[in-house]
Amino acid sequence: MNTPEDPIDAQLREENNYVEDGGFNARVINALPRRQRAWLRPVILLGAIAIGSVLAIRWLPWGNLPALDLSASLSFDSQLSQLWMPWMVVILVVASLVWGLVAALQWED
Amino acid sequence: MSFTDADLIARVLAHEDHHAFGELVRRYQSPMRAFLARMARGDSHLADDLAQETFLKAWRKLNTFRGDARFSTWLFGIAFNEFRSAVRARKEIATDELADPPPEPQTAATDSNSRLRLDLTEALKRLNSHERAAILLCCQNGLSHEEAAQVLGCPLGTVKTNILRGKENLKRQLSL
Repeated sequence: MNTPEDPIDAQLREENNYVEDGGFNARVINALPRRQRAWLRPVILLGAIAIGSVLAIRWLPWGNLPALDLSASLSFDSQLSQLWMPWMVVILVVASLVWGLVAALQWED
Repeated sequence: MSFTDADLIARVLAHEDHHAFGELVRRYQSPMRAFLARMARGDSHLADDLAQETFLKAWRKLNTFRGDARFSTWLFGIAFNEFRSAVRARKEIATDELADPPPEPQTAATDSNSRLRLDLTEALKRLNSHERAAILLCCQNGLSHEEAAQVLGCPLGTVKTNILRGKENLKRQLSL
């Protein structure tokens, strides 16, 4: 035997009318963020790496790098910075380019 | 061919498919807007703004939907949180909502022979927001008590109590 339905439940269900869309769906879809272009960021990164590489090849003093003398560098004399500084610049630039390249190739959207 | 909610969600997650998400919006815009309009005491403009924000938030957070609840339940949860945020943000609503429900009109409370009957819409407005939300979710939208507790972020017993009290209040107002 069915139990009689609660009159409040019955009334609530009766009053649960369908709300017409009236352009709501279109407003929501138009407000959605634009689709991200997954390829764009790695391409920008690779472009920046290419430009950076050209500049590094062009401007870094590849031919004038001082020979590394570890015993001299460990002595902490006044020539320390003169000896290491060009190498530090080169290492920093090359490391940055390699890091950028790895980041671009490993990019996941 | 009709896609299930899970199919559409998978398409949105895989391809950011606006058409698939549009289908989800088409399916659920009516219950969300109706629920929020009731919660906002008939302010359909506020309800539509909140509903739109609900769907936008659903789009952004869809990857956190684990699928252990119905999609509609998850959406109701976002909608209710949006409503609560609006209540906090809008002082004019907050004052109204956070206060005790307004007293029943003298005519309904004292004149037992009065033919005046508040219709259900008006009667619902006189419930506090917790009772109103629990009744709308369970009695109008068919959520289980457990689902409503999940949506409202409160214990199961609280939902049952709010439904019981709310219904008693409605019956009293409607003289049922």
